[in-house]
Amino acid sequence: MTIHRVIRKVQRFEGWFGGGAALCLIAGLYVGLIGSPPDYYQGEVVRIMYIHVPLAHTSLLGYTVLAVGSLWYLWKRDPIVDNMCQAVAALSAVFTALALGTGMIWGKPTWDTWWTWDARLTSFTVLLLILIGYLMLRTFVDDPEKEARYGAILAIVGFVDLPIIHFSVEWWRTLHQPQSISMRGVSISSGLLVPLLLMSVGMSLLFSYMLMVRTQLLYLDRLLHAKKGRLLSQFHLSKSDS
Amino acid sequence: MISFNVIRWIVWKDFVTELRSRETISSMVFFALIVILIFSFSFSMDQQAAREVIAGIMWVAFAFTGIIGLGKSFSTELQNDCLEALQMVPEAKGAIYLGKVAANFAFMFVVEILLFPMFVILFNLEVVEEISLLLLVFFLATVGLSAIGTLFSALTVQIRAREVMLPILLLPLVVPVMIAAVEATKGALNGDPPALYEQWLELLAIYDVVFTVVSFWMFEFVMDS
Repeated sequence: MTIHRVIRKVQRFEGWFGGGAALCLIAGLYVGLIGSPPDYYQGEVVRIMYIHVPLAHTSLLGYTVLAVGSLWYLWKRDPIVDNMCQAVAALSAVFTALALGTGMIWGKPTWDTWWTWDARLTSFTVLLLILIGYLMLRTFVDDPEKEARYGAILAIVGFVDLPIIHFSVEWWRTLHQPQSISMRGVSISSGLLVPLLLMSVGMSLLFSYMLMVRTQLLYLDRLLHAKKGRLLSQFHLSKSDS
Repeated sequence: MISFNVIRWIVWKDFVTELRSRETISSMVFFALIVILIFSFSFSMDQQAAREVIAGIMWVAFAFTGIIGLGKSFSTELQNDCLEALQMVPEAKGAIYLGKVAANFAFMFVVEILLFPMFVILFNLEVVEEISLLLLVFFLATVGLSAIGTLFSALTVQIRAREVMLPILLLPLVVPVMIAAVEATKGALNGDPPALYEQWLELLAIYDVVFTVVSFWMFEFVMDS
């Protein structure tokens, strides 16, 4: 069986993503931790934002990739797209959990509480629950084709649900500070913006790199299972002949 | 195209099975009563406290009993390979979905209507004028729960650990329904002017439309084999 052409492309480019991620993250961490001033109101605590915000952005980006990949899978039924979906779901779950964790660490000194039922915290928690549900669902289906199809259905329904969940909890309660970077312009100083952007780009590149590696891993795993199945059936056939 | 005949027969079939076995509605009502009992033990409520939390308790009870009904909706089809028969229906699968949604909605709504007087009696609620708005809240929220719940009932019925996976997958997705239903019910029970909580009714209506359409579309993919 020849290596999938997508995998060949990925293997050619993944080094660039990994290298770019390392460069951006190292530069971003340097500027963020050493080269930038502490925030006027928040002091040194603000520095965890350089990790927290990129993690949150990247996990949302990951969920978008998951939804697009799931639509694509239902349309084309290409198994490698499903490998990608499985990889991106696991990574998004990790990034979402890390975003929640770093947010809690930031919230303790700033809001004086580890946890509050604020709109964005709540919708990220629900996002994490959906992703964990997705990963659990996949382990409970025996047939790989069905596993991919059911996972895709859940991912798409969840993706449609996310904005509604977000609005409903936003109406329900709001404490989180409004986004600093929005369509209406940037409301933070450039000293904080540079490390934030570097870390955001770096985190997205890191996510893409990990996604590429993990997709290959799952793809090879599937090939291995197929091969094992073929060998076993040959073995049983030859035994029944003799 | 959607075959109205298929919808009609699915609903008829589910109603007849329910009338003969009386399994779903009776188990849902009984389970909900136990939930109410447990809640009143664990909060040891006086009348004032009850007013604050009753809407939440009500919708937790409704959602849990709804999940029982939704789970049974497709797991009964496993007997005698009825699920395979449904998959072989030579019509668009969306008709099966709509029929099942209608039947599930009817069961859940009947249970809610039966249970509501229990809440009124057990927690000394005063329901005076807003009963029609309250019914609208029940209606909209139950449509939402059954629209998305039917899809996941069909999806989880063919996997391992389905009794666990249905609530695990469904409950995070119905967070907007729960929030909106609780807030609107609270408003209606307190006798607030409807303008204060009509945004929740709008949210419920939007959710219903969006998820009926999305689930209807996704159901094709659940059923193809």
